[in-house]
Amino acid sequence: MAKAFGIVNTSGNHIWVEGMQDYRPIGAFSFLGRYRITDFPISNMSNSDIDRIQVYAGSNPRSLIEHLGSGRHYNINSKRGKLQILFAESQAKNDIYNTDIAAFWENLDSIQKMKEEYVVIAPNHMIYVMSFRKLLKEHEKSGADITLLYHSVDNANTDYLNCNYLTLNRQNGVLSVSTNRGTEPNRDIFMDTYVMKKDLFIELIQRARALSSMYTLAQIVNIQCEELDIRGYKHEGYFAAVTNFKSYYDANMKMIDYENTKELFLPEWPIYTRTNDSCPTQYCETANVKGSVVSNGCVIEGTVENSIIGRGCVIKKGTVIKNSIILPSSRVDENIHVENYVVGKHSKVIHCKELIADVDTPGYVRRGDTL
Amino acid sequence: MKKNNMLAMILAGGRGSRLHDLTNKVAKPAVSYGGKYRIVDFPLSNCANSGIDIVGVLTQYESILLNSYVAAGGRWGLDAKDSGVFVLPPREKADANLDVYRGTADAISQNIDFIDAYEPEYVLILSGDHIYKMDYADMLSEHIENNADATIAVIEVPIKEASRFGIMNTNETGRIVEFEEKPSVPKSNLASMGIYIFTWKLLRQMLVEDMEKEDSNHDFGKDIIPALLNNGGNLFAYKFKGYWKDVGTIDSLWEANMDLLDGNNELDLGDSSWKIYTEDITTLPQYIGANAKIKRAYITQGCVINGEVKNSVLFTGAKVGNGAKVLDTVLMPNSVVEDGAVVNRALIADGVKIGKGAIVGSADSENILLVAADIKGVE
Repeated sequence: MAKAFGIVNTSGNHIWVEGMQDYRPIGAFSFLGRYRITDFPISNMSNSDIDRIQVYAGSNPRSLIEHLGSGRHYNINSKRGKLQILFAESQAKNDIYNTDIAAFWENLDSIQKMKEEYVVIAPNHMIYVMSFRKLLKEHEKSGADITLLYHSVDNANTDYLNCNYLTLNRQNGVLSVSTNRGTEPNRDIFMDTYVMKKDLFIELIQRARALSSMYTLAQIVNIQCEELDIRGYKHEGYFAAVTNFKSYYDANMKMIDYENTKELFLPEWPIYTRTNDSCPTQYCETANVKGSVVSNGCVIEGTVENSIIGRGCVIKKGTVIKNSIILPSSRVDENIHVENYVVGKHSKVIHCKELIADVDTPGYVRRGDTL
Repeated sequence: MKKNNMLAMILAGGRGSRLHDLTNKVAKPAVSYGGKYRIVDFPLSNCANSGIDIVGVLTQYESILLNSYVAAGGRWGLDAKDSGVFVLPPREKADANLDVYRGTADAISQNIDFIDAYEPEYVLILSGDHIYKMDYADMLSEHIENNADATIAVIEVPIKEASRFGIMNTNETGRIVEFEEKPSVPKSNLASMGIYIFTWKLLRQMLVEDMEKEDSNHDFGKDIIPALLNNGGNLFAYKFKGYWKDVGTIDSLWEANMDLLDGNNELDLGDSSWKIYTEDITTLPQYIGANAKIKRAYITQGCVINGEVKNSVLFTGAKVGNGAKVLDTVLMPNSVVEDGAVVNRALIADGVKIGKGAIVGSADSENILLVAADIKGVE
């Protein structure tokens, strides 16, 4: 039996991705044309022999639930393993009471029933590859009560806003967990990833509830910094946090360079996703595609440059797509110029001949919209 | 199996020896096609889309890959409670020695017990090596309407090619009055597609009789169908319209792939109402480099393209290096065309590497070149 069960946590109400999150939780956002962000935490768990996983679904969970299904495509044993989708957040989206602790509290029963000694908690809005097998081993070796995963960055003044960061002593002991307000460039960004014993986790949930119904898991851990042995573990490799629209755009665009994929898609670490059974993509006589990532099921007649085309998109003749992300099942008709845009799922660009946004503030076409 | 009380048996034991090295280690139904599929995905997906729940697959030649491939019935949605894909290679029995399947009919005869267990009213016999989309439920409703003993799917072929096929001569009601195997002077252009629906009770009886006949080839076309006609059986032709291909040779396999380059091709693999399902391979999407040039191509996920690709079909994980040219070519799964290499009118087999700067095939060759072993680069 695996040592730990997994929890895929919601992004929390301190984070909101304008436009896109109105339709789905960040975990269900499309990534690189054919993945969803939740594929990363779940594949990390599955590849680390964690086959009992709870995914906490926030508001508008339909697309997330459809994508997760039975969890079979994540290589989880269908008898021994289990992918549970748990609901919480019965209140309004930005309600202060909608904390992860509140969601765990509502589902305390099913957490208590887990037979594994440890829990690994990972977020649904961050993209990285990490062996939790290794993290667990390090956690056990160190004798710490809680291990927190972090990533050292030098651009915390512009990026990772509203993420938490860790203040560490020289032995990597965590002194505090605080919110990144963008005041310093060099920060150890907390990857919202925890390892601890299940019993301690339950204790923390109960303690947080007793103190304040507004507490989040990160906040209660921060309060415990003096009392418990909490240590940081440094992550190396690709790391992206989707905390706003720009960071979503950037995380995708960075993967257009094939060299960068080598940090996130390792041969021995498959990232699983749900198949859509789309046929291959048709490149027509007039197609002109360069420096792009294209998914299956597309028909491409036009020009595509430095862009990501999702599954089942149609790009018609004379159209130019540049520095853009076209989300699955969208259609861009003839002679249209799209630049620095994210075109939402199932949308159609027909009448509007020019969609050009500034490179620093990419535009967004809403899901299912017709322009 | 309640839906239409018909189970399907797919004949997938053949080698397809005219595909040469492609079928050295795999049977023809397991040969790759159309970027991400294997040929056997077509009958299996057709079954799933036609509401058939129980599918037996009769395997024999080099069956290791094929057996494990089709056994994962979930790929085609054939894994519900009362559904399944069953691999049926020849087996040893209490009252008979282990023997190979002696013919298409014998393969079914040796599995009468399997079919009986489901008590079907009808049995659908299919070939595992044809590329087409067909609604077998529609064929069954004609079979029932005609009160037929057997219904045979036919397709109109050009009359001058008709002597290559098994030809069905029908009367005005569609009833088959005569069957001629490869006639030198064909009387009609209705070619048998090797797709049969039989009323099981009758077929069962015919198979039992056929097993005992010493002079029989134990073959549907040569023995069972003629015998049924001689007995005055009620045989009907079911006219199929649409894309259908039996890819017997390297040239015809290449051609069938090239058919997909036309966006309006008849097979229409993009039709979401009749999807063809296949193995879900974990790969990245397609990576198209900054200097790539792609015109008229059919490309699937896992490909990495930095060179030029024209009039070609690229299968899962195929790679085209910088300055390389891939023209009028089929690149099978995980094949690699290294930097500066040029490939013309060729079919590059699974995993084969064309070394840097190598030149393979030519634009004016009569036949398509099959490359089944690595080609060294020229530096």
